[in-house]
Amino acid sequence: MAKKVENPTRLKAKRRPILIGFLTFLMLLLAGFFMLWQRYQILLDDRQSEMAAIIGVAEQNIDQSLKYSYSAALSLALQIDEDGKIENFDEVAPQLVDNNPNIDAIEIVPDGIITKVYPYEKNKDAINYNILKDSTRNGEAFIAIERKRMFFAGPLQLRQGGLAIIGRLPVFKKNEFWGFVAVLIHFENLVDQSGLEDLAGDEFRFQFSKINPVTKKEEFFLNDTSEMDKSYSEKLVLPDGDWKIYIIPVNPYEPFYTIIPVAIMILIISGALGWIVYNSLKQPAKLQELVKEQAGELAKSELHFRTIFNQAAIGMARVNSRSGMILEANKKFQDLLGYSEEELKLMDYKVISHPDDLTENSDLMRRLSKDEIRQYSLEKRLERKDGTLIWVRINVSPLWEVGEEVTSHIALVEDISARVKAKQRLVDNENRFRSLVENSNEIILIVDDQNRVKYYSPSLAKISKYEKIDFAANGVLFYIHPEDHDLLRSKVENAYTKPGVPISDIVLRVKDAENNWFWVNATLTNMLAVNNVNGFVINLRDITGKKEAEVNLVKSYELVMEQNKRLLNFAYIVSHNLRSHSSNMSSILELYDTEESQEEKDTYVHLLRKVSKNLDQSLHDLNEVVSINTNMDIKAETVNVSEFIDQALDILSLQMHSKRARVINEVPEEMQVSFNSAYMESVLLNFLTNALRYSDPERSPIIELIGYKEGKNWVLVIKDNGIGIDLDKHGEKVFGLYKTFSDRKDSRGVGLFITKNQINAMGGTVKVESETGVGTSFKVTFK
Amino acid sequence: MIKSICVIDDDEIYQMIIKRLITKAKAFDETSYFMSATEALQNFDENISNLPSAILLDINMPIMDGWQFLKKLENTFPSLYDHTKVYIVTSSIAYSDKDKIEEFPKVSDFLSKPLSVEKLEEIGNSMA
Repeated sequence: MAKKVENPTRLKAKRRPILIGFLTFLMLLLAGFFMLWQRYQILLDDRQSEMAAIIGVAEQNIDQSLKYSYSAALSLALQIDEDGKIENFDEVAPQLVDNNPNIDAIEIVPDGIITKVYPYEKNKDAINYNILKDSTRNGEAFIAIERKRMFFAGPLQLRQGGLAIIGRLPVFKKNEFWGFVAVLIHFENLVDQSGLEDLAGDEFRFQFSKINPVTKKEEFFLNDTSEMDKSYSEKLVLPDGDWKIYIIPVNPYEPFYTIIPVAIMILIISGALGWIVYNSLKQPAKLQELVKEQAGELAKSELHFRTIFNQAAIGMARVNSRSGMILEANKKFQDLLGYSEEELKLMDYKVISHPDDLTENSDLMRRLSKDEIRQYSLEKRLERKDGTLIWVRINVSPLWEVGEEVTSHIALVEDISARVKAKQRLVDNENRFRSLVENSNEIILIVDDQNRVKYYSPSLAKISKYEKIDFAANGVLFYIHPEDHDLLRSKVENAYTKPGVPISDIVLRVKDAENNWFWVNATLTNMLAVNNVNGFVINLRDITGKKEAEVNLVKSYELVMEQNKRLLNFAYIVSHNLRSHSSNMSSILELYDTEESQEEKDTYVHLLRKVSKNLDQSLHDLNEVVSINTNMDIKAETVNVSEFIDQALDILSLQMHSKRARVINEVPEEMQVSFNSAYMESVLLNFLTNALRYSDPERSPIIELIGYKEGKNWVLVIKDNGIGIDLDKHGEKVFGLYKTFSDRKDSRGVGLFITKNQINAMGGTVKVESETGVGTSFKVTFK
Repeated sequence: MIKSICVIDDDEIYQMIIKRLITKAKAFDETSYFMSATEALQNFDENISNLPSAILLDINMPIMDGWQFLKKLENTFPSLYDHTKVYIVTSSIAYSDKDKIEEFPKVSDFLSKPLSVEKLEEIGNSMA
């Protein structure tokens, strides 16, 4: 798991450009605004100065005007004599008024009563008006009196009409207040004379005010400006009339407005500069960020590499390319070898390598060090800590660039023991199968569809005696028995339709190199489509021996069946025989029980005795028969037939003599056969006894005994000239049990049965030839 | 009608027994006994009227067995079974004899030894 690294400086670094940018912006803004403020102030000052200048000029003009008024008033006042009489008013006044545009009228006001006025017509209504008695006007008059100098009152609404200021010059005669010389200036005229209208132009307005001496309130005389904001005003105080003249900008905020675009520009410039600073500051931060990111990536890929190295499913080791010392080894590598990393770090890779692999490894390592190769892989053995060897495949890559100094290399180590073992097993298996095929008693052939033999196993020569074989020249059928051609053709057709399916148990006769037929059991597999085979795989097993054994088996089976049948028949015969006795017994006993005559009863007992005797004889015979059939331990030995014949003839000599029988013995002395001696005695006695017993009463018996070799086997013929047996009638039964062919009471049908069984038990055979009235001849062939 | 019975059997003792049983049964007017088939054939050969009304025939006999005898008799007297009932009397039927039975469908019965007086009476009565 990669640990998430939180870097606190990263955030700071990210923030700083914003801060600096913002600060830059602020400082620029402040500086700009400061400058702008100053500029604003200058503007304001300029305006103020301008206004001051205007006021100054206006003051001068008004002052001028007032001075003229004063001069005029004074000039007139000087005309007043000590008596307070003015003679030449009508001369002086027009001179003063008409020559002085500043003055609109001039009055003589003794004791406050207007007595004279010029121009008269315009101002005649003011005559006799006592200003001192008019409480609304006398305040200013009194000021003039009190100050003893000219004081301008008004502007006042004149009696004669119009708004005007009145400059009253108090005139004292003999230190006594005489009255006033008043100069009347129409307010419009005053304004006109002040030049304010021209000076102010469009930019400024002005206002006249005066503290009402009665109400003590400031009164404004120019209507349109009465409500004007006086904050930016400049005022002029005229002490001669307690007037104030205000000059007010028409647009008091104009300087402010003029700086607004500049302010906006400053704002924009500051913002832009702040932005530029921010960006230029951010660039390193970005780079730093990038560097950090790269470093993070590097750390991550290092982590990845670590993880891969440590968790890899294959062993990895970093090895000093010069010394061969292991520098690092991952978990898998440690597991593979059973060493801990600490142990491995003290090892040269050569220590754990199998010595047989070192030469090749060192050679490759040397070539790697010389930059001849840039990597190599090798399959080699490593020795584990516990001493066992493992097969590994190593992939080695250098950790230096071409031309650089040789440092270390990384080796990837993969455990291929299983693969190597499997491969070895495969080779072993291949050898095993090859040896199986090559040592097999089966002939294995691979034949393509063009009859070319692509492979034949070495057993071909062993079994068929062909040194090599090919069907291309003569065709396959050349080697096959003609009777089996159809079978083979049908099987081959079958194989064509069933690729991959072995068609087995094709039993054929095949010709060997010496033109002898031998039996094979063939299996045919169509592997035409299978790579590396591309043909029919044919397995041929020599079954000649088996085939013979099969014939023998059939023979044995038949023999067993025959014996079985015989045994079954034997059992019936026995039961029949025994039952005939038992039924006789029960009948006799029944008769005995119902019989009253003692004589008869005696007869029955006599009969019973006879039955008992017959039963005994039957059991005796049966015992003999059974003993031959069951006693398998009867041993055969080499017996001299001639000797046994002599013995038998000796035993029968009395009977021979009484029958006047003649024996012709032509059995050679050297005739020796393998036979049980007791059986031999029994067989000879039986044949000879029969020859005597069934002799023709018409002629004296002649018994011939002939011994000779037929092929490898000895043959003994016993021939008589007795009554003979009708073989047409009894042929098969001659040797049967309880088969009798004469009406002789003493023939029980047992002798020949036993004789035949004894001969068969010794592996011999017996045949009979006979003609009624001529004689019988038995031919015994010994094993 | 004269009830005659003929016994053909090579067993000397059986002959003695059957003689006494037939006597006891009192079912037959005439009796004849033969120890071999050839002997019997010689007797029957002359005239068909000599044939008994019942024959008790043994199978296992030397020279000529019961089957051979019966074959010969059937050949000589094609109308044999019209006036003669043939009973095969044996202590047991051998395996090889089983097929033979099929060849003589007209044989009245197969009787198992020992015969009883009652059985003989029954045979005698069946002729009446």
